[in-house]
Amino acid sequence: MTTVSSPSDSVLVGRSAKMRALLEFLNVISNSESTVLITGESGTGKEVTATLIHQSSRRKHRPFIAVSCALFSETLIESELFGHERGAFTGAVKDRPGRFELAEGGTIFLDDVDDVPIAMQVKLLRVLQNRTIERLGSTRTLPVNVRIIAGTKRDLRHMVAEGKFREDLYYRLNVLPVMLPPLRERRDDIPLLMDHFLERYFRRRGDDTPAISAGTKEAFMRYDWPGNVRELENACERIAQTCTCGTMRIGCVSMSILSQAAKRPPVAHTLPSSLDEATPISLDARLQELEASLIGWALKVSNGNKSKAAELLRVKRSTLGDRIERCGLGRAEAAEKVDRRVAVPA
Amino acid sequence: MISRDKVEAVLSRIRPLLQADGGDIVLVEVDDCSAGVRLTGMCAGCPSARMTLYDGIETILRDEIPELGSLRLV
Repeated sequence: MTTVSSPSDSVLVGRSAKMRALLEFLNVISNSESTVLITGESGTGKEVTATLIHQSSRRKHRPFIAVSCALFSETLIESELFGHERGAFTGAVKDRPGRFELAEGGTIFLDDVDDVPIAMQVKLLRVLQNRTIERLGSTRTLPVNVRIIAGTKRDLRHMVAEGKFREDLYYRLNVLPVMLPPLRERRDDIPLLMDHFLERYFRRRGDDTPAISAGTKEAFMRYDWPGNVRELENACERIAQTCTCGTMRIGCVSMSILSQAAKRPPVAHTLPSSLDEATPISLDARLQELEASLIGWALKVSNGNKSKAAELLRVKRSTLGDRIERCGLGRAEAAEKVDRRVAVPA
Repeated sequence: MISRDKVEAVLSRIRPLLQADGGDIVLVEVDDCSAGVRLTGMCAGCPSARMTLYDGIETILRDEIPELGSLRLV
């Protein structure tokens, strides 16, 4: 419901052209006092973005109050946002400040602003215009010094056209628009996000981040991530909880990701053609991915016979052994032997 | 009797991803209402992976071949 930001967890990760443009824009607007409207699908990081804006603003030492407007019924939302006086309604046994008052001097993040009932939208508009509030049941007008950031997963312009959102409020909110791209539109950032979240969850487990297999990366790249970064984060947490072999392989990936990935053609690693868009890639990491997948192929078609696999790859048997170790394929091989012992012959 | 070709067709979509990691899935047997597969290679020894792949492959197979009652790991 209400969250006070925890600085260590609030970070936007991405080096794609879209994210770099976004981060630069956030830098520009963080010290402004104007209202921000963050639009993005569920899981794209609206609250993280709002937190970041707050933390890099002059208001950072004052409160950051996040409220989801979807949580409250039409009757409750007014009292939640603006507070109430004792006796304003049944059950209002004492005076209670609203979220705007709690955010005094700081920032209020009104998430799911599209869920604010139309009758309430007028009152919100008044706050935006006059920077004053009135508690429910009170005639006293209180000035508020709060920066407003609104968040929505819907297209507010569309809602305005349908008559579901007030046009005047839309314009008041949409002073500094921030659009968060869905993850499927910035696939280049997926490996970076994987590293980020895996590192976080393995550190919590007290372990080093393991190597990520080429197959896992490929499956993550092909998947559409309808739940965006949040879904990817959960997938990484799951891996950190279940991985037993020290290398993240395809078996660590949830089947919904694997099955969708299996239906899609491989993602070509597109490289930007101009220096402006180019982001660094690790040549060593790319070469190692390729090496691991070729060694995996050779071992597979030679039924695990390393001498034959070495012949297929035109390397010495001893070289192949070293490379298998380097790619982390050795442990899995041992695991396979164990498995063969217990497997029932066909 | 479940068509072996149908099961193979579904598995062949999942297989490249497993193979990229040096693993594989082998269709061992098919009978009236079930199929038996064996996981080999990389993930075969990991309990988490076996469960994920077992559950997942069964779900995908059932989705496309409703007459499939169960999948066995052999």
